[in-house]
Amino acid sequence: MKMIRYGLIVAGVILGSLLIVTSARAHKDKHTPQQLKAFEEVFMEQVRVGDLLFHGDDATAKKLNVELSRTGMACAMCHPFGSDNHPHEFPKFQEQIGQFATLRDMINWCIEKPNEGVKIDPDSPAMKALEAYIYWSNRGSKLDPGRH
Amino acid sequence: MDENQRERDELQKTLQGEGKRPDRSLKITRRTFLHKSVMTGAAGVATYGWFPLIGTLDLVVGQAGQPAAAFKFAWISDNHLYPKDVNTRFVDKAVRAVKEVQAMKPAADFLIHGGDLAQLGDPVELDLGNDILKEVKIKKVFIPGEHDWYLDMGQKWTNLFGQSNWTFDHKGVRFVGLDTVSRGPDYWTAKKMSPKERMGHMATLDGSVAGAWAGVGRDQLQWLNQTLSSWDKAKPIVIFSHNPLYEYYPPWNFWVRDWREVQEVLRPFSNVTNIHGHTHQVLYNELGKMRSIGMLATSWPWPYAPEGVPALTRCQVRADPGDHFDGVGYSRLTFTAANKIENEYVMWRKDVFAEAPSDSGCADNVNQNVHPRIADQEWPYYGAYK
Repeated sequence: MKMIRYGLIVAGVILGSLLIVTSARAHKDKHTPQQLKAFEEVFMEQVRVGDLLFHGDDATAKKLNVELSRTGMACAMCHPFGSDNHPHEFPKFQEQIGQFATLRDMINWCIEKPNEGVKIDPDSPAMKALEAYIYWSNRGSKLDPGRH
Repeated sequence: MDENQRERDELQKTLQGEGKRPDRSLKITRRTFLHKSVMTGAAGVATYGWFPLIGTLDLVVGQAGQPAAAFKFAWISDNHLYPKDVNTRFVDKAVRAVKEVQAMKPAADFLIHGGDLAQLGDPVELDLGNDILKEVKIKKVFIPGEHDWYLDMGQKWTNLFGQSNWTFDHKGVRFVGLDTVSRGPDYWTAKKMSPKERMGHMATLDGSVAGAWAGVGRDQLQWLNQTLSSWDKAKPIVIFSHNPLYEYYPPWNFWVRDWREVQEVLRPFSNVTNIHGHTHQVLYNELGKMRSIGMLATSWPWPYAPEGVPALTRCQVRADPGDHFDGVGYSRLTFTAANKIENEYVMWRKDVFAEAPSDSGCADNVNQNVHPRIADQEWPYYGAYK
């Protein structure tokens, strides 16, 4: 009996060790400074593209095949520094749209109504870049979803 | 932002000293008391005591016993006209303002146009604006905005409207028009920018390339000093400028960089009113002995700056972006027979002032923290303004 008990204990320890090793391997490795820099660069590149779109840069709009305005108005003309965008308040009931809306819904509403542009695919690179710039320029704002 | 706060503290310390207030001949009417009663409920404002909060602002500008003749004048600015084939909305609103000024009864003695008639300084835009303004048959005076100037450095604007600063006396008031836009630091030569590129950066309110372009300049300060030297220190002075003559929010040039020197020139005078454009919003401030009133644009309203909104300002209603006639308009100003100026914001769609925080253009931003853009801080720019 003693031998069996010892055998079970040893088997348990081995199994436990294997689980620990496997589990550790399932997690990602420690981040290197180079990785963190690369992650940031990916994000900031999108912020820059979004910044240019937001400020009415024709070349960037052409490159992404979007027409965000036909009135000469750019997003930044009502939202300097990304102010009054309130990304921290979405999702919420949006009065102008008359329904529960996300930030992407509102971006498209602004493109279509005040700017008289052509609304864009909500999952398109242009939308993601605009969203990146709007969130980045409002970093540090207090999260307050649903606020009117 | 810390630098902004440092500047603002200095401005308050320098100009808001004991007894440094606009002339005591100021009288508070029932209307301004009503405004006060609304505002004293808001935290942080009650400490400003009895100072008036404008809706329509009544204030005495003449000396007691020396009544001036009654007259009206009107302010229109910040039309930001594009060529008609690009944008007809801005044209419609400029036309509406012009028609309403022309229809004023009794008629206004003159119209002051406060700058930014054009959006990109294009001669087509300036000619369009000039044609629209021809419908106003009364006397017209003009000061430039930065959008009018930096494509050809003011050549077309000057050809159309003449000298960019001037003065005249009218019924006991000395009026001065200042040019606060043409003396910006040269950001274009070293980078070999085309006129269009230069204009593009200047036309971007939150851009970081054009820098602190708003200023009066040493030469014009000397001219202002000389212009006012013969004027009685107690008599009213009204100064028109595109930018406010104090520091509200420098990153958007909601200031003039040499406000200290301007205030030094104005210090001996007890009745100075600065009426300015550029900020596209209801704005009121008192600094030292000068009161300052911001005018509406006809084009679109700017949001209130993330910080620095003068506590004396009673904020306007949040504009509905779906209605391009909301949050914009012009001003009718009246010198009454009792020597008072009344400023009336003519905002086309809604009430001018917010009664509840949820409707206020200021209170709406309590949880907001915003930051300057970056895409124009790199050189050479990729994509920008090509």
